[in-house]
Amino acid sequence: MATELWAIALVSSATLIGAFGPILLKKASEKKLSKIKSLITNYHLIGGVFLYAIGTILFIPALKGGDLSVLYPFVSLTYVWVSFLSVKFLGEKMNVMKWWGIGMIILGVSFIGIGSS
Amino acid sequence: MHFTIKVQYKNKFNKKDIKTIEKNKIKMTTKLWAMGLVLFCTLLTSTAQIFYKFGVATLELNILSIITNIYLITGLLLYGIGGILIIISFRGGEVSVLYPIIATSYIWVSFLSIYFLDESMNFFKWLGVFVIMAGIVFIGYGSKKGTAEGVGVI
Repeated sequence: MATELWAIALVSSATLIGAFGPILLKKASEKKLSKIKSLITNYHLIGGVFLYAIGTILFIPALKGGDLSVLYPFVSLTYVWVSFLSVKFLGEKMNVMKWWGIGMIILGVSFIGIGSS
Repeated sequence: MHFTIKVQYKNKFNKKDIKTIEKNKIKMTTKLWAMGLVLFCTLLTSTAQIFYKFGVATLELNILSIITNIYLITGLLLYGIGGILIIISFRGGEVSVLYPIIATSYIWVSFLSIYFLDESMNFFKWLGVFVIMAGIVFIGYGSKKGTAEGVGVI
């Protein structure tokens, strides 16, 4: 089964939305999480879990458009998005290691793309 | 011999240093359960992908078809349990150690796709899998505990 381009595009967009999950969860973890009330009123926590879920829900229908062994590796783009988003929203710093990692993940998914066609 | 080493240690480190060494030893043992737990989670979330793929084969766009799809529900359940356990395990370990273990999921999914979905791998697909894994290892080493990466990505 050939993997269709819309499926790859959908997985990539799903990972971008899902990547906001860890960003919000990180913000959530800075607050007290001991009491039930503080958990259900922590909108970062709720938002983080919600975005994680949206990412997964968008990923599943994409599997109709191709092979799992092609589409699943594209989930690794999440790491790329999280690295960029944590600089933008959490004030974290990039470093040489992260840049190498980002480059390799992009190269890796490109190889998957070449292998699928 | 034993005695001389002991003397050397005594000269090299003061009490505070020895305390930090002891602390790190405790940290190392906590890492082991975290590593085991992450590996277990990785196998759960990889298996979830196979269930998703089985699930979408019979999926139609109506609520009843979605909520009665046993494959999809099993997949989501496995993924959910895996996700919660990964967040717990990140409290007991460093990102640089746990990320490489999570990265093995790309190998598991490739093998599971071959055996359960009759998919085929080729040179470029395997190359892609290993280059992606190497990339995740690099990001893990570039990240510290307490960063967004430390929350855990699945």
